[in-house]
Amino acid sequence: MDDTSVAMGPYMPAVLLAGVNLSLGEGAARVHILKNVSLNIGRGEAVGLVGPSGSGKSTLLMVMAGLERPDKGQVMVAGQDIGTLDEDALARFRGRQIGIVFQSFHLIPTMTALENVAVPLELAGAPDAFVRARIELEAVGLAERIAHYPAQLSGGEQQRVALARALAPGPAILVADEPTGNLDETTGGEIIDLMFTRFAAQDMTLVLVTHDAPLARRCDRVIRLRSGHIEEEITTA
Amino acid sequence: MNAPITLPMLPTRGKPGVVLTFRLALRELRGGLRGFYVFIACIALGVAAIAAVGSFASGLAEGLAREGGVVLGGDVAFVLIQREASTAERAFLASRGALSTVATMRAMVRTADGRTALVEVKAIDRAYPLYGTVVTEPAADLAELLALRDGAFGVAADPALLTRLDLRPGARLTIGSAAIELRAALVGEPDKLAGGIGFGPRLLMSEDALRATGLLQPGSLVRWLYRLRLPTSSTAVQTIDAAKVQFPDAGWEIRSRNNAAPQLERNVERFSQYLTLVGLAALLVGGIGVANSAKHFLDRKRDVIATMKSIGATGSRVVAVYFVEVLMLASLGIIVGLAAGAALPFCVAAFFGTIIPLPFAPALYPGQLALALTYGALTAATFTLWPLGRAHDVPVSALFRDEVAPQRRLPPPRYIAAVAIIATAFAVTAVAAAVDRKIAIIFIVAAVMVFGILRGIASLVMVAASRVPRPRTTILRLAISNIFRPGALTPTVMMSLGLGLALLVTVLEIDTNLSRQFTAALPERAPSFYFVDIPSNAVDQFDAFVRQEAPRAKLERVPMLRGRIIGARGVPAEELKPKPEAAWVLQSDRGITYTSEIPAGSRLVVGNWWAPDYSGPPLVSFEKHIADGLGLTIGDEITVNVLGRNFSARIANLRTVDWNSLGINFVLVFSPAAFNGAPHTEIATVTYPGGGTTSEETALLKAVTDVFPGVTAVRVKDALDTVAGIVMNLVLAVRAASSITLVAAVMVLGGALAAGHQHRVYDAVILKTLGATRLQLMAAYALEYLLLGLVTIVFGVAAGSIAGWRIVVDLMTLPFRWQGGPAIVAAVIAVVITMIFGLMGTWPVLGRKPAAVLRNL
Repeated sequence: MDDTSVAMGPYMPAVLLAGVNLSLGEGAARVHILKNVSLNIGRGEAVGLVGPSGSGKSTLLMVMAGLERPDKGQVMVAGQDIGTLDEDALARFRGRQIGIVFQSFHLIPTMTALENVAVPLELAGAPDAFVRARIELEAVGLAERIAHYPAQLSGGEQQRVALARALAPGPAILVADEPTGNLDETTGGEIIDLMFTRFAAQDMTLVLVTHDAPLARRCDRVIRLRSGHIEEEITTA
Repeated sequence: MNAPITLPMLPTRGKPGVVLTFRLALRELRGGLRGFYVFIACIALGVAAIAAVGSFASGLAEGLAREGGVVLGGDVAFVLIQREASTAERAFLASRGALSTVATMRAMVRTADGRTALVEVKAIDRAYPLYGTVVTEPAADLAELLALRDGAFGVAADPALLTRLDLRPGARLTIGSAAIELRAALVGEPDKLAGGIGFGPRLLMSEDALRATGLLQPGSLVRWLYRLRLPTSSTAVQTIDAAKVQFPDAGWEIRSRNNAAPQLERNVERFSQYLTLVGLAALLVGGIGVANSAKHFLDRKRDVIATMKSIGATGSRVVAVYFVEVLMLASLGIIVGLAAGAALPFCVAAFFGTIIPLPFAPALYPGQLALALTYGALTAATFTLWPLGRAHDVPVSALFRDEVAPQRRLPPPRYIAAVAIIATAFAVTAVAAAVDRKIAIIFIVAAVMVFGILRGIASLVMVAASRVPRPRTTILRLAISNIFRPGALTPTVMMSLGLGLALLVTVLEIDTNLSRQFTAALPERAPSFYFVDIPSNAVDQFDAFVRQEAPRAKLERVPMLRGRIIGARGVPAEELKPKPEAAWVLQSDRGITYTSEIPAGSRLVVGNWWAPDYSGPPLVSFEKHIADGLGLTIGDEITVNVLGRNFSARIANLRTVDWNSLGINFVLVFSPAAFNGAPHTEIATVTYPGGGTTSEETALLKAVTDVFPGVTAVRVKDALDTVAGIVMNLVLAVRAASSITLVAAVMVLGGALAAGHQHRVYDAVILKTLGATRLQLMAAYALEYLLLGLVTIVFGVAAGSIAGWRIVVDLMTLPFRWQGGPAIVAAVIAVVITMIFGLMGTWPVLGRKPAAVLRNL
């Protein structure tokens, strides 16, 4: 199978984790973070990952995004067993199929808002990268700010750019790690509204790490982690 | 909020290529040059040094080539030693073009009140000069100036002679048995360069005047130069070929204008190679700064790299983007370096053109600039690819976790291989571009060893520091832990300071040993005088006279002939393939002698000496290192041309010679009957036990020149002064070139300390929050620098001393005496200055307000 192809049949889950174990650190500092985690996330589903600090939610998100490889277990994302991909194939897969929104935005400071959004498209070889990027920025309400550098944007604007960047390649899965963690409540609320609007409009899956209970409740399902285990799953819809 | 959008799917597999890499690199460049000043300066400095040296040397070579006719004094020159051209030879030469005859020799001039001076006589005919003009002060017609008037021939002399003997135009002098009148100062002599180093000032006279001096005795060391101005320069080759065919045994050295001053060209070539190596050393030292800059840059870019990877960039793409970016920045340094290097020859010509005693043609020399560019690009690539390779594996997970001190891993194998390939390309370029490849290889090997050793020592120091029991004093504990903590300055400081110190000590050792060689007291066994051109029929008289005048001095005297090796083992000399260190023996005529006993100062190492009464076929004793260099051994036959006759002799034995004794030493020593019938003179040395006093030497000089006006006296102290003057000029050039490397080392160190300060802000803030005072922190840093400095001093002094020793002994073939005191003092001063600058830079870092930093942690 082509390393970036999507093979999502009608019953194929968007994310499938089977018996995932992961330890991090070296020697005495090695910690068993994910303990035999199995999870199915359906196509078009919004899932909130919650739990106390150190429970493994961000690590689980990284495993789903192919940023950490489990020591044991299988990870299927958008129909692709990402354990079979080498680093470069995984990077290309991520570029097309997974959009990531970080708590700290992580825009590239030397690029304008437009360029930041265009980069994943350029990397994916899209000939119309800047046209698409402009449309994405307009969609997040930043049509007037496309030539601005990250340092010239407010925190909320930066996160909108980050969201546009994550959505631009039309990913199958959008993962967000505390997307409002660095924003005030009002701005955070706007970002979340925007995210859910775009989620609803596009045929994709959303996985969200948050400490914010009301935010988690906006998802179709909430998964609570504790000490590397799935403690409980609550369907909110 | 805007309406949802729908866009067509992305193509399943795009192929973003090199253009995207460049585009991303250009965007990254918007970040500015922060953190890259040292990087650019290091590349610029090294490239400038190499481009300048190359352009300057090419300018000289071009100048020599363009002015070949003037330098040589004609289109073709035939040089004979100790004999004039025969009538047939002269007729042949005259038939080919305009002929000018010049004779040169050393002689003594005496003033009316008995003062003497060694001069380099140049006797010319009316056709001289064929090219260029002679400039005298006052200006005058040359023939008129040198004509016989009032019983004295006119001469023009180098202004140095006028100063030395306090002469004015009109002064009457004696040379040999002729009276001469000084009529002008000789300011410009077009063919001066062809003469090489003179031990005395030039004295220009007519050929008739020389003949009148009585100095032209059979076997006198006179050099006859026959220059031809040809109708067209293209006939030079035919003329040379015809001369070789018609006069195969003439024994003349033939040069054309294309090869006017081969020795000078070789010296320029060699010296420019040494300076190029110094430039390369500057680039290599600067390479550490380049690597540091790249490392710190990528540390700062860790989040951006991770972000790019999170949105689909592969590790190779990220490395490619940053590689292109650093190459663009390196290009900036290269352009600055090339511009400075290319401009230097023009500046030299503009400001010092009139005082450079060489034909010099400043121009843009694309080949030299391309070489400097290549070195600059290869340095940038070699030293940046390693830290860049590490970017390949920067994990995206770094964006989710705060990593205070990211783990240092080796870059992936492909980047290590690339570094190895590029470093090899650097080495191959350096060796291929070198005149003397052996020296280039030694340089490369030494550089690799020094880098390896320094890195090894740095690792050892870090391991040792990590294993030291924890001291109770907080400051000491902090200092020691700073040495081995992740991101410690130890490797960088040891590399830059260590290389800088090693270089400083090397230059110091070479300097002091060279200076000592030429300026310190002569060895006790060194002679005070060489007396040359002692007629063989007057040797007994000469011996008796010297013994009477200098009863406590030791007199040694041997026959002296000049001969050129024209073949060995049946192979013509020009087809022999000598090693570089032996090539000089074949390049011109050499002094040769014959004797029944092993000469003083020689040691027989292979074979046997001939019997005292040996009278069989001619045998020759060869200096061993030269014989090895020419690929000759016992039993081989060599042919030398002496006074126009070829003499063949078989090598009977090999000797080593103590050249430093300054006694009479010869490469070739023949058996007594080898030159039966060849007229020759003798050479003598006079040695005072414990060295001669100035008054003793002056008295003997005057007495000998009074009684033997045809004998030329070379005072060793004066000759050494002349050589020392030239050598010290070279030392000055070496010092200037080395200072470039030192500047590079200082820049690298400064850059490393500055980068280190950024790292230290975090530590300092945390420690200050916990109650540490600035003084305590400063004391800890001072202690850290001191500990590193001490280890570096040991290495720098040791490595510099070894390098200095090998260069002095192997390359300069001079005795070496270790100058430990100055070396250690220089190293300590350098370390103390480094410490002071380092701490000066640290103080403001310690003054940062914790809150501002903590908010960003």
